[in-house]
Amino acid sequence: MIAAAFVLLSLAGFAFLYRLLIGPSVADRVVALDGLLMVVICGILVDVVDGTSVVSIDTVLVVSVVAFVGTGVLARLVERQGG
Amino acid sequence: MNVVDVIARAFVVFGCSLILLAGIGIVRFHHVLARMHAAAKAPTLGILSIALGVVLSVRTAAAAFTLLLVVMLQLVTSPVGSHLLGRAIYRKVEGSVDSIDELARDEGRVEP
Repeated sequence: MIAAAFVLLSLAGFAFLYRLLIGPSVADRVVALDGLLMVVICGILVDVVDGTSVVSIDTVLVVSVVAFVGTGVLARLVERQGG
Repeated sequence: MNVVDVIARAFVVFGCSLILLAGIGIVRFHHVLARMHAAAKAPTLGILSIALGVVLSVRTAAAAFTLLLVVMLQLVTSPVGSHLLGRAIYRKVEGSVDSIDELARDEGRVEP
């Protein structure tokens, strides 16, 4: 079941990466980057469930804060110079 | 692997499928606001479900507290970030996508 979770997460990661590469506007890329960081958070958590992880669970907190701050800053960028 | 572990893994797989749902939405939808709608809502419930699975699987107080913090942070910051980005998209990328524009009416830019 952990393997199935990793397969689902990697498909979602490719979907966000596709939108990040082709996205017509900067705003599309910001949305895709935020979603990609969600995939990273979920990947770390699934790795913790797997049991053999060397990554601490506190990393999730850091990635979550970085995702929020990045989205806020890039939204300001979109608002200032257009998408 | 006992029953609790199986339930925990089921929660994790459900959360991952919600993340995949957001990925499908962000590829398939046509407007940037519609794509943001897909990418802002589904991953919140997905992370909540995966965190529940991790707590059921690890079963320590420290992990439970950290993941409670993660989920609370996600529930607070996801609407705030989406609101910031949605306002920027409305002002700079594309305005109202249908004929009704409530924000222009509320700001007094057009007659109601």
